[in-house]
Amino acid sequence: MSVADRLPLGDVEGNGALVLGAVCVLLAAVFALTPLVVSLPGSLYVFFEVGILFALYGVLVLGLDLQYGHTGLVNFGHVAFFAVGAYAVAMLSAQDSFAGVSLGLPWPVALLGGVVVAALLGAAVGATSIRLRDDFLAVATLATAEIVHSLFVSFEGIFGGNVGIGGVPQPVSDLAGDADTAMLATLLLFGGVTLVTLAAVTRLTEAPYGRVLRAIRADELVTRSVGKSVITYKMQSFVYGAALAGLAGGLFALYTGAVAPGYFTIQVTVTVWIGMLLGGAANHRGVLAGLAVIMGLRLLSRFALGVTPISADAFASVRLVVVGLILVAVIRYRPAGIWGDAEELGVDT
Amino acid sequence: MGLLQNVIFGLVTGSYIAIAAIGFTLIYGIVNMINFAYGEYLTVGAFVGLLTAVTLPLPLPVAVLVAMVGGGVASLVLARLFFTPINHTGPVPMLLTSIGLGIALRNLIRLAAGRNARYFDTETATFRLTGVPDVPVGPFDLLGDFFVTSEHLVVVGCAVAVFLLLHGLLTRTDVGIAMRAMGDDEDLARVRGVDTQWIRDSVWVLAGVLAGLAGVLIAIQTNVSAGTGYSHILQILAAAILGGAGSPYGAIAGSYIIGLVLSLSTAFLPGGMAELSSAMAFLILVVVLLVKPSGLAAREVREA
Repeated sequence: MSVADRLPLGDVEGNGALVLGAVCVLLAAVFALTPLVVSLPGSLYVFFEVGILFALYGVLVLGLDLQYGHTGLVNFGHVAFFAVGAYAVAMLSAQDSFAGVSLGLPWPVALLGGVVVAALLGAAVGATSIRLRDDFLAVATLATAEIVHSLFVSFEGIFGGNVGIGGVPQPVSDLAGDADTAMLATLLLFGGVTLVTLAAVTRLTEAPYGRVLRAIRADELVTRSVGKSVITYKMQSFVYGAALAGLAGGLFALYTGAVAPGYFTIQVTVTVWIGMLLGGAANHRGVLAGLAVIMGLRLLSRFALGVTPISADAFASVRLVVVGLILVAVIRYRPAGIWGDAEELGVDT
Repeated sequence: MGLLQNVIFGLVTGSYIAIAAIGFTLIYGIVNMINFAYGEYLTVGAFVGLLTAVTLPLPLPVAVLVAMVGGGVASLVLARLFFTPINHTGPVPMLLTSIGLGIALRNLIRLAAGRNARYFDTETATFRLTGVPDVPVGPFDLLGDFFVTSEHLVVVGCAVAVFLLLHGLLTRTDVGIAMRAMGDDEDLARVRGVDTQWIRDSVWVLAGVLAGLAGVLIAIQTNVSAGTGYSHILQILAAAILGGAGSPYGAIAGSYIIGLVLSLSTAFLPGGMAELSSAMAFLILVVVLLVKPSGLAAREVREA
């Protein structure tokens, strides 16, 4: 039985996302490749910026949900895989960077490299830590993220230290007619990638394969007793999630044209975790919706900053206090999330 | 700077990590949670001490006591508000809650205290005993010159006092014996008449008191900012896991190992790589989890 046979093809949700994703990518291609240009009102820029980030974090949250929502793996170092993907792409593709290593390879090669390197890191972390009790796995992955972060900061000759690596090609910007068109094309392209990812993970988890993952989360011992190699499934799930994070990181590098340690802090991990828990783990569309809520808050707070008398610095602290308390409140009052299935997740409400 | 000097720094660092790690590991052993907000309890203690000694100003020993009381009160109140209500949900929701609480606390402190590091003015706080500058060690060139400051002595002295009191508490008092019983088997302890909620609360207070002390010692030894707790939590965690999570004596041993590794790696790493010394601590943590997942002392952390 081939892999294709095991995947249900009649699934409407996954197919819809796939079609919509393909349309988005095609539209992005139209804007990027033809002389067609658009001009966006300046007041909408912030929506486009947050939208692009949302699409990238969407890929992150889908990967994380595969690991935690479906398999029960508590990865609290998700940003490490995002960062490693971004740095790998930057190092492979950048030309004439002011700091760090830049090899100047074509960007598609670099993007593939980024995904592979993130997947390899996932395999390494998985091989060492996946047998740990849930909360210790969280600690081990979090420590991994801190190690990765400090390596990027410390080895200036390779990773460019605090400055990071610049000169990364920005394929969409290069192809599109002007900055506004590039922004629209980027949003469409990344949105398309997120939708295609949604279709792919939906296929994966609707298949018998996904049922095994959820069985592992529900009761590992029973799953093992019916003859499933729990560790193999856990490893696969962890590596898929890491590879998706690497893809998101690579796209991020090709969008911003530069990487630096400041982009890859624990805040990224916290944002995707809150999005996932808020939306309802194990529900693909739910976690994206939850992420939209938490990133909508970010958008809202940008506007609020303009009308409040306190400094931007103090405001950033206030926002993080709110973010922390949201995490606490979600776990206490909505442990299954807004769109999650409490019975399936086995939580008390 | 000589090797011996780094050993001294390592022992000082190990001492305040140990004081904090004991509290952390007691929470793990008895409440069965990894409390990621614990680093922020250090910051709370440090700022309470700073307010008492510098703003009021009261003598430093009083400030240290106030910081310990403040840490204990904060710990109990936060536990009652955030952790006790979700005690039954298992380790992962507890861990995630503590991460959220840590972010909120850290930024509340940042709002109140600003971004800059604060210092104890040790001169006016009439605390500096006698400076013991640069004692030469003669022919042992390998070891080099070294010095011990009064702050060093206070930190190490406090740590030794804590170890002795803790040992007495755990072996000679009813509360301590009940704590050990709960750490071994909570159900059995309850059947034998231990008031488990009361013991839990005692552990929260004790852990908070130790965090307050560790925080104020860090502030005396170096400085304190809103990020102080977060920058120490992974070292505390590494020390506790290295020593075997849940084991207070293991935590002491783990802390001195971490302290010495941090200090010696700073000596051997080239300049500009100071960040790597903390990576060393986490690397040890990951390696320990890999080869001996239950740490140097008991307690099982692997399931599969």
